[in-house]
Amino acid sequence: MGSIIIRLILALCITAFLGACSAKKSIIVLMPDPDGKTGAIEIRNQGGSQKLDAPNQATEVQSSQTAPDPPRILTEAEAQKLFGEVMAAMPPAPVHYTLYFLTDSTRLTEMSTRTFEEALASIGKINPAVISVVGHTDRVGDRAQNFRLGLERANQVKQMFSQRGIDSQIVETTSHGEDNPLIKTPDEVAEPRNRRVEIIVR
Amino acid sequence: MFKSFCLILVLSLAFSITAQAADDIAGYVKTVKGEASILRGKTLIPAQINQKISTSDVLKTGADSSLGVTLRDDTMIALGSNSEVVISEFDYSPAEGKMGLFTKLLKGCVEFASGIIGKLAPEKVKFSTPVGDIGLRGTRFAVLIAEP
Repeated sequence: MGSIIIRLILALCITAFLGACSAKKSIIVLMPDPDGKTGAIEIRNQGGSQKLDAPNQATEVQSSQTAPDPPRILTEAEAQKLFGEVMAAMPPAPVHYTLYFLTDSTRLTEMSTRTFEEALASIGKINPAVISVVGHTDRVGDRAQNFRLGLERANQVKQMFSQRGIDSQIVETTSHGEDNPLIKTPDEVAEPRNRRVEIIVR
Repeated sequence: MFKSFCLILVLSLAFSITAQAADDIAGYVKTVKGEASILRGKTLIPAQINQKISTSDVLKTGADSSLGVTLRDDTMIALGSNSEVVISEFDYSPAEGKMGLFTKLLKGCVEFASGIIGKLAPEKVKFSTPVGDIGLRGTRFAVLIAEP
């Protein structure tokens, strides 16, 4: 009889310490982005909705039928207790490099030649699952043409990687043509900053 | 003659299956701790760093475990212990105007940092949980679902 009570007390104590990923009520918290800015989210269910738009604002939700609670600020300690393990499991952010080409050429600008070397160095350090090479253009020319031009530039960079010993199997080339500009412009406006290849190491 | 025909048939099937799988790759496993696996159809695969994840894969973790994935648009998702997440939809072809991400948190806890789809088309990022759906404007949030 005595030993059963002791085992029960032990089990309860262990459960009480289990802060990570367990709580009495579901909770949703808005976190700031790495660059310090915070966006906004809205939680909606059959009971109602709640918007969160300040960093570390949280709302608890009893069930899908009950409206989310009014927001409160989650303390650092609470966030660490509930989400510390999850936050530690977040992947490192993908590393981005942008290469610019000399006008009407497949040669990199001098600055971009240096950027290319930096990209090679970080590929050596990270163990990437994939290296994404995405070609972009400005809005001069028609969309289909620009899609092809973007792809040509991306393949050019893939060649450059291959020549430096990077396994082509993990290099993926795509083109966003004129559809993912760095600087938004009206159609047919030249913008050298959009004529680029983006390298993303994941 | 027949043998070479069979060989060609098998090879073309193998290539088409590979091509299909490549098309619906949503992302890659980037962090693993403890018991973390991917349920693909009926097969449970232990998660490994740099492993590819497809849409409809169920990401699962056991006790004292965690799993982190990066999607092709830079969205990052981390699972804590005893959690389950499915990426039921992932389209990332900005050049074709196709973009969409639908993540379902089935149980446990998760941190979600939206990527390029969240920046270019936040209305196309859907996140559902057992207690409600979350709409977002290019952001990072965490959810913990209490055991019923």
